[in-house]
Amino acid sequence: MNFRHAATAFLTISLSLMACTRDVPRGASTTVRVDDFGDTIPATLRAQRIVSLSPVTTELLFALGAGARVVGRTHWDSYPAEARAVPDVGNGMQPNIEAVLGARPDVVVLYASASNRAAARRLRQAGITTISLHQDRTEDFRRAAMFLGLAIGDSARGAVLGDRVLGEIRAVRTSSTSPNGGAGKRPTIFWHVWDAPVFTIGKASYLDELVVAAGADNIFGDRPESAPQVSLEEIVKRDPDYVLSGPTSAPKLLVNPAWRAVRAVREGRVLVVDTALVGRPGIRMGEAARRIRALLDSAAAASPRTTNAVKR
Amino acid sequence: MRARAWLLLFAALVVAALAAIAFGSVSLSLAAVVDALMGRGAPDAEMIVRVLRLPRVALGIAVGAGLGMSGAALQANLRNALAEPYLLGVSGGAAVGAVLATSLSVTGPGLVPLAAFAGAVVAVMAVLAVAQAARGPGDARVLVMAGVVVGAFANAAIMIVMSNVPDQTVRSALWWMMGSLGDASWAGVRWTAGYVALGGTLLMVYGREIEILALGDEPALALGVDTVSATRRIFLISSLLAAVTVAAAGLVGFVGLVVPAIARSLGARTVRGTILASAITGATLVVAADLAARVARAPAELPLGAVTALVGVPFFLLRLRRMS
Repeated sequence: MNFRHAATAFLTISLSLMACTRDVPRGASTTVRVDDFGDTIPATLRAQRIVSLSPVTTELLFALGAGARVVGRTHWDSYPAEARAVPDVGNGMQPNIEAVLGARPDVVVLYASASNRAAARRLRQAGITTISLHQDRTEDFRRAAMFLGLAIGDSARGAVLGDRVLGEIRAVRTSSTSPNGGAGKRPTIFWHVWDAPVFTIGKASYLDELVVAAGADNIFGDRPESAPQVSLEEIVKRDPDYVLSGPTSAPKLLVNPAWRAVRAVREGRVLVVDTALVGRPGIRMGEAARRIRALLDSAAAASPRTTNAVKR
Repeated sequence: MRARAWLLLFAALVVAALAAIAFGSVSLSLAAVVDALMGRGAPDAEMIVRVLRLPRVALGIAVGAGLGMSGAALQANLRNALAEPYLLGVSGGAAVGAVLATSLSVTGPGLVPLAAFAGAVVAVMAVLAVAQAARGPGDARVLVMAGVVVGAFANAAIMIVMSNVPDQTVRSALWWMMGSLGDASWAGVRWTAGYVALGGTLLMVYGREIEILALGDEPALALGVDTVSATRRIFLISSLLAAVTVAAAGLVGFVGLVVPAIARSLGARTVRGTILASAITGATLVVAADLAARVARAPAELPLGAVTALVGVPFFLLRLRRMS
């Protein structure tokens, strides 16, 4: 049995964090008519039955007021609450084509990862319009909003929504860097995505942008990938002020002997992030940035952190 | 085996262990490593060397010794130079036991190895039954085929258990199944080393019996050894050793295949000597393979089992060709 293959498949499932092959250079087209697989979206498209194969686009469609047109979603979609009522067509990555066709969609929205390419092609062969979109950086979200606006016949609304979310993130960034809000040295963080092996976020992830907007620096912000694998040794060396982790893994980190090599863990500076909120590069990114900011602020207030100047 | 050969084996282990302490994904100067070992280094260097690298090297030694001894005992017991816990499906069975224990949250200290042991014993019995039904466990190819089949079944069973657990757990479990020392802690080192020492001691105690078994059934019976119960005993001990390594480091294949051959080529003739030499060589091989896994694509880590397979598979093919 090929575990490598299985592992690769699992690694890509439901993780919009994962890096994926760039099929079309970003900004290659001036209009939003050519998606990230290079497929053209008809300008006259008025989607009535949409299957959304990514939690981010499901959220977006509901936010655009097109929730009633969503006839299929992935197993992982949980926001907004109404989305749960939409039939589950399974995993968003390498979707089951039969299940998707069973929802009788006219448009299917996919996450543009290389593993979804075959599915997009087969759906198009079946006469269905597919829209395949990257979801790594915040700018990808704006682009997705514009595409989905086009798909439901309301381009203006899509553009406004995309700008609004990016504006919210910008506002958090401005308040974090203003003289009174951002006094002192910027804290450094390590974002714990998962263990065994250790994965974190890199430059290509929206989370890196959110962390920076929240007034902190990602210790692996120099890595070009969206989700690089890193070593514990390297984390020890880069010595972050805080470790950010999900609610299930944070307690495990604190008692894991190997993780105690990391000073922030040893000294209890592990901040629990709400993964349901921050785990998606979607409509609530502004709120996510504010939440990260609040988390860092309250941590700093609880115990004034040792700045790099004091460390050595 | 001559004193010079023993010295060579020990020296190789020492060199591998020192290299594994000195090198890693973060490069430290030799002086920094020595200072860290003495407890007077910079805090981050001290953490890297003492909390991350040392237990990892110690666990590598215990795991490698366990795998080497398990392979040597199985080979002597089955009179089959291709016998090895991974190829015989023993490790796969152990993995099923460990995964079941973990998914049922039976994870008390030392319990996972016991669950792995139970799985390993079931796998051994299944492999021997399959081989018996064909042409007897003495036929190397039949035995390995039976082992591979049982291993495939174990993998299928693990996949089914996995289908029901959250993604994160699946990812970690798959990583673990490819073999890794990344989880090394002193507590883990203690129980792994404890079980490995127990298994090793038992093999030494029953060394003469294995020696006689290796002569064949008839001579063994003539010498007054109850071959059936003696064989079963050795299988149990070898399974325990393999299971402990699986619980500690996942599936690390081919070590048990390669190292007894190295021991024999260095002149090990007695069973006890081969087992001891396999323990040392196995430790060296696993520590060196783990070092390669850590630095080859640093800061990312390669699965340890993949590195040992890269060494082991060509070796296996050479052996197979020589046999036919």
